[in-house]
Amino acid sequence: MNHKVVYFLAAMVMALVFIGASAKAAVEIGKPVPNFEAVDIKGDTFRLDDQKGKIIVLEWSNHECPFVGKHYNSGNMQKTQKAALDAGAEWVTIVSSAPGHQGHLSPEESAKVLEENGSTPSAKIMDESGAIGRLFGARTTPHMFVIDEKGVLAYAGAIDSNSSPNPATIEGAENYVLAALEEVKAGKPVTRAQTEPYGCAVKYGK
Amino acid sequence: MQGFPRALKECLPLDRVLLYSGPPCPLGASKGDSILRHLLLLSFLILGLWPFSSFAAPDANTQEEKLVKIRLLPERATVKGGETLWVGIEQSIAPHWHTYWRNPGDSGTPPRIVWTLPEGFEIEEILWPVPEKLPYEPLLNYGYAGNAVFLQKLRVPEALPEGPLTFSAETEILVCKEECIPEYGQYTFTLNDSQPSGTDSGAYLKAALEKIPLSVSWPASFTEKNGRFVLKITHDPQKFLCDETAGDIAFFPVEWGLVDNTGVPQTNFSDGQMILHQKRGDRPLEEVETLNGVIVCQSGDGTRQGFAFVAEKSAVLAASFPHILRTTDGERTDNIWVALIFALLGGLVLNLMPCVFPVLSIKALSLVKIAEKHPETARMHGLSYSAGVVLSFVLIAAVLIILKAGGAQIGWGFHLQNPYITGGLAILLLLIGLNFSGVFALRTSFGNIGGTLARREGLSGSFFTGVLAALVATPCTAPFMAGAVAYALLQPAYIAFIVFAALGVGLALPYLLLSFIPALQRLLPKPGRWMETFRHILAVPMFLAAIWLFWVFSQQVMPRPHPAEIMSLGSAYSEAALAEALEGDDPVFVEMTAAWCITCKVNHAIAIDVPSTRALFSEMKVVYLVGDWTNEDPAITKFLSDSGRNGVPLYIFYGVRNPATGERPAAVILPQILTPHIVERFIQGEIL
Repeated sequence: MNHKVVYFLAAMVMALVFIGASAKAAVEIGKPVPNFEAVDIKGDTFRLDDQKGKIIVLEWSNHECPFVGKHYNSGNMQKTQKAALDAGAEWVTIVSSAPGHQGHLSPEESAKVLEENGSTPSAKIMDESGAIGRLFGARTTPHMFVIDEKGVLAYAGAIDSNSSPNPATIEGAENYVLAALEEVKAGKPVTRAQTEPYGCAVKYGK
Repeated sequence: MQGFPRALKECLPLDRVLLYSGPPCPLGASKGDSILRHLLLLSFLILGLWPFSSFAAPDANTQEEKLVKIRLLPERATVKGGETLWVGIEQSIAPHWHTYWRNPGDSGTPPRIVWTLPEGFEIEEILWPVPEKLPYEPLLNYGYAGNAVFLQKLRVPEALPEGPLTFSAETEILVCKEECIPEYGQYTFTLNDSQPSGTDSGAYLKAALEKIPLSVSWPASFTEKNGRFVLKITHDPQKFLCDETAGDIAFFPVEWGLVDNTGVPQTNFSDGQMILHQKRGDRPLEEVETLNGVIVCQSGDGTRQGFAFVAEKSAVLAASFPHILRTTDGERTDNIWVALIFALLGGLVLNLMPCVFPVLSIKALSLVKIAEKHPETARMHGLSYSAGVVLSFVLIAAVLIILKAGGAQIGWGFHLQNPYITGGLAILLLLIGLNFSGVFALRTSFGNIGGTLARREGLSGSFFTGVLAALVATPCTAPFMAGAVAYALLQPAYIAFIVFAALGVGLALPYLLLSFIPALQRLLPKPGRWMETFRHILAVPMFLAAIWLFWVFSQQVMPRPHPAEIMSLGSAYSEAALAEALEGDDPVFVEMTAAWCITCKVNHAIAIDVPSTRALFSEMKVVYLVGDWTNEDPAITKFLSDSGRNGVPLYIFYGVRNPATGERPAAVILPQILTPHIVERFIQGEIL
């Protein structure tokens, strides 16, 4: 058989495998992420698919979680966010706390938290129903996702390598998100593409 | 707490003051003026849940204010030099709150304890009591509620100073209900105090030790099958408390992400084995080679017993099909004498291999010429040659052992996975071939194969002929060799060296005997004009070997499609492909080969890629998988070593599933030299 024919057939088989797999798991490293659409706290509609061509960072947050506090009070999250925005990436903060649960806020309160923290995401979404959180399998706050320009998941996991709630441990920890951003920007595969997220559980409703 | 950002620049949350200097946040310091937050603070105050610690660093072992009260409990109050004693770290957790196990599950973080010990003291790792599953929909955590006692063993140095000894622990514990609060603390205890305080904790710690999982060394392996995590443990029925009737069996992996934490494990028991299935997590299986875990069985009366085990990743484990291999060629051994005899025999057979034979036959004939006049010199040549062979084998063994010790996934023939070596060998064989055919006369040490042997300096030539023989022999695997090499690489280095040296002695032996025994020399034809013609003829196999090595080289350096074996009738081996094939009912034939492995190529050409075998494969619906080890491939090396081998070729046949029992017969390793008849007998199940 002609080699080209073989390669073509192999590629077809691979494509079928990919389609099968993506139907099974919500998000997977190296696979395209599903689209979502939501109204952000400013009232604008955010569509993930509209961001193709840009790197996107998704940050799961809950302002009352001490792990989120660890990274905001120390300025670490803002530093990471600035590096991402400076690199031309979009930064989307998502809060999947259900009404009546910790971290749930009105859009106005949510904006105020951003202001107090000096955080300037491209968009912040209050995901009350937890639909986006479940779509991405977000488990903790913070839980970080980096999506490359083609809409493929490049990184999922913790913000850094030290899962202690103690802010003193930020120094000396490896910032996985910064490392992933740098590699995605350089068009390289991400060395540590998946890590164990740590922090408070996302406060989904029952 | 993101809600207090401005305030926190000047002060610290109350629970953090314990560890850090700086003022605590006054209660009203929150500038986030949301009513919600005030209500939250108020409710904390009313309910008394706010971790309102005393502002001074605590030195007592209890703080009434904390959600997790910590006590340090030494086994006894006095110690002598050289002793060990248990130290308990007790957490008393407020109702409805929980702390975390070493793998916290979907969220959270494990407690941390940092000790400051008097000089010379050492403290071992934490022993974690059996955890519980703590669901928080849709997530699940592994941790503790109520009361949990960690244990650490303290080692007392031989030379013990007089007087009291103080031990201090800094703790950092995340405690969660819906919200999470990190609690920091510093605690101390004193040993050998002149006025010992507190009660003896020995009995209490003994009870705590009961809750630590029992550490077992039962064989265990894990893999993935059909999107599920599969764990197999061969347990000791006398000790194992879990069985089909056990109400609840829980699995706690130390490694994160392998299982979906919310998944409910399913277990099967048969023949002293427990097979556990649980939904897979999202972490790739490739990231984990060794898994530490705990199985917890809950008996009818509610007692929970944990078993801590270590499982290795298995390439070929299938739930209903234990990977038990049987060999038919008697090549596997765990006896050093048998291994040595195998090595010697294997080395002897290597003399007949296509690239070794021409070199040696020329060498042998010229030896006869010398021996007529200088028998003494002939013997010296025999010894030099043997030294060259044996030293080369020992050197190859040394490199192999060192690389393996460094963690490289390699085996016998590993150097041929390097294109520089195959390329170099190809050029070398080409030069020898050219020399044989008389295109040019080499006067280098390698080229000393002709008539200059009688000269004394020819001895180094003989030595290097030995080196060459060893080098060109390595692509070949002779019968008996695989068993010997596999045995050697599992043994301490010095035994491995002895076995490899025996292999070398085997290769060197015919020539050595020839150089020492005139009677043998007389059996060979008299040297004469015909030798020139013979040399020209022997150049042909050398050229063929060179061409073959150039081909191997090209296969290694150029991007290539699948090897011919796969193109002809099979598909490529992978762990997943094999697992899937074994999941089905049809028989499975696995062939492990490499472009540089002559034995593999010969076997394939004469026994597998022939009409009769092809017809048989399709008739019996044999799933045929080919692994290509031409270049380094850890997955294939793993499969080889799981099968007790360190090199190719390897042929394994997994028989058809028995429809009555639903089981497959044990997998069988085929001999390393195949004929169509041998293959047929295995596939027809005549040899099982």
